[in-house]
Amino acid sequence: MSDEHDHHEHEHSAPVAADDAGSQALAEALGSSFAIVKIVMGLMVVAFFCSGFFTVGPQEKAVILRFGKPLGEGSKALLTAGLHWSLPYPIDEVVRIPITEIQKISSDNGWYLTTPEAELSGEEMPAGLSLNPAVDGYAITADRNIIHTRATLYYHIDQPIDFVFNFASASNTVQNALDNALLFTAAKFNVDDILTRDVAGFREAVQERVSELVDQAQLGIVIDQCEVQSIPPRQLQGVFSMVTTARENRNKLLNDAHSYENQVLNQSGAQATSITNAAAAERGRYVQAITAEAKRFGDLLPQYQVNSDLFRQQTFVQAMTQAFTNVQDKIFLPQRADGKPRELRLMLNREPQQPKPAANP
Amino acid sequence: MKRNILTVIIGAVLILIFGLLLFVFQVRQSEVAVVTTFGKPVRDLTEPGAYFKWPWPVQKVYKFDQRTQNFEDKFSENLTSDSITLLTSVYVGWKISDAQSFFPKFAGGSMSAAQRMLESTLRSAKSAVISKHTLSELVNADPKALQFDGIESEIEQAVQVQLQTNNCGIELEFLGFKKIGLPESVTQAVFARMTSDRQRLINQFQYEGEAEAQKIKSAAERQASEVVNNAVADATRIRGEGEAEAAKVLPVFQQNPELANFLLRIDALQQSLNQRSTLIFDERTPPFDLFTGIPASSTSQGH
Repeated sequence: MSDEHDHHEHEHSAPVAADDAGSQALAEALGSSFAIVKIVMGLMVVAFFCSGFFTVGPQEKAVILRFGKPLGEGSKALLTAGLHWSLPYPIDEVVRIPITEIQKISSDNGWYLTTPEAELSGEEMPAGLSLNPAVDGYAITADRNIIHTRATLYYHIDQPIDFVFNFASASNTVQNALDNALLFTAAKFNVDDILTRDVAGFREAVQERVSELVDQAQLGIVIDQCEVQSIPPRQLQGVFSMVTTARENRNKLLNDAHSYENQVLNQSGAQATSITNAAAAERGRYVQAITAEAKRFGDLLPQYQVNSDLFRQQTFVQAMTQAFTNVQDKIFLPQRADGKPRELRLMLNREPQQPKPAANP
Repeated sequence: MKRNILTVIIGAVLILIFGLLLFVFQVRQSEVAVVTTFGKPVRDLTEPGAYFKWPWPVQKVYKFDQRTQNFEDKFSENLTSDSITLLTSVYVGWKISDAQSFFPKFAGGSMSAAQRMLESTLRSAKSAVISKHTLSELVNADPKALQFDGIESEIEQAVQVQLQTNNCGIELEFLGFKKIGLPESVTQAVFARMTSDRQRLINQFQYEGEAEAQKIKSAAERQASEVVNNAVADATRIRGEGEAEAAKVLPVFQQNPELANFLLRIDALQQSLNQRSTLIFDERTPPFDLFTGIPASSTSQGH
């Protein structure tokens, strides 16, 4: 444009050369200002093309839309961290997508009315007699109990193109899925499972449902972690904790019973072993003794057969000799000469150490 | 003449740019466009890219957001088939599936007008479906009886069918419950029931603990006495075995019962006359029978 004007200027000024100083001065002024305009336009052209440079940070990816269409297919369309260049705006458009950072969504649709500040300071609104559905959220369990439950979901974006271009508000969709997962899972679990017996199972089921829903919706995200917190209604906290105490008491009783069981069984086992051992030992002794007896019998039999009377006498006297050496007190009581029986009195003392049996001749 | 050529080129470029602006338009990824000729929709463009059109006033381009939109209805009351009042709120993901039908239905293709239509469709579908189900189909520990998913997809189906008959170019992507509640007065009744449930559990735990512990203890005692009794029986059997073994030896004594008898008595005598016993005997007891064979004077001497 400036060239055109410039050109016209020259054509006009040629026939009226040095006509008038005023118009010449005007022409010069116009000429120099057109020169300035030219330089500025040249700079603008340069700036126009340089504006195509842009950087992508480490926490994001970018997609160039050329005439509205992503440049490249699938993951190839994603530009990683670094310096990139695109054509100026009407042709190319750069869309930045946060990707590596972990995203976080919390669901408190199932929680009573509170704020994080009130919760931290412990100045929550006191619980009323009932729950107002407009403000207090809760979930209904499989056994039709009411509980409060809330969850926090951590995820990262796996398919940024789906996440950004297919959803008007993808994070809202994740939020909905999390709200739904809590309701759905609570509807399958009994209250005691959610609160005490199977807390981990409940959490896993919630996470499973969320990932099912986000996969169905093709959100292009991957769930990293899901935290779930569940409590009984504050109105019933006392009675719920009493149940916990009762359960603990029961467990203690059972534990005590089991340790008693162990003790009794161990004792009886030991007793049984000693009884059978004793019997075995006795048996051994008995058999041994009788065998020895038989052997002695076998040894003695020939002698006895030679002269039985002599053998009897000998053996008896031998035995008596031994008996007399062993016996503590020996009393010889000869027959009365008249052959009448003697009268004998014994005084027995309870203490056998000093038995002083008196003989009355 | 160089200047003239440059001028012509620049002029041509400018005319080209101007012409492109008039004749070409872009459809972004995530957008869908409808081209109208004298107000009548003629083309639907769902793929992103650059497209040709006749300039205004011949053709006009209307662009719509093709992404999935979120919408949730109001938390509203419905009656289940077992006459329980239930408060529910559902969320939906919807999007424009057919821009040519969508665009004439709503004034200027307004999204909010579409959402208003969706809300009323949703409301009637929801109350129709919930009134066919019981609460125990919505909450149940038995996965076979639980129809949470089924109820959601029934509502979705009903809405979908309605949208198709209306031919408004919208389709649902997904639908689910966002909030479920009971009327405030009912929660109080539920609390009362829950309290009595807890009370029952407390009693049960108390009773169960004592009874179970007692059971374990008595079972242990029974088992222990059984073990001991078995051991006693074993011991008897072992002794019996010993006796049987000894019986094998007994025939040896049969060779001379007289001697066997004698030896037994000798042994008995020896055993009974060990230490700490007192023996009273007369002269007939051997070996003191020796005394009788000696003259009386000697006897008194010896005494």
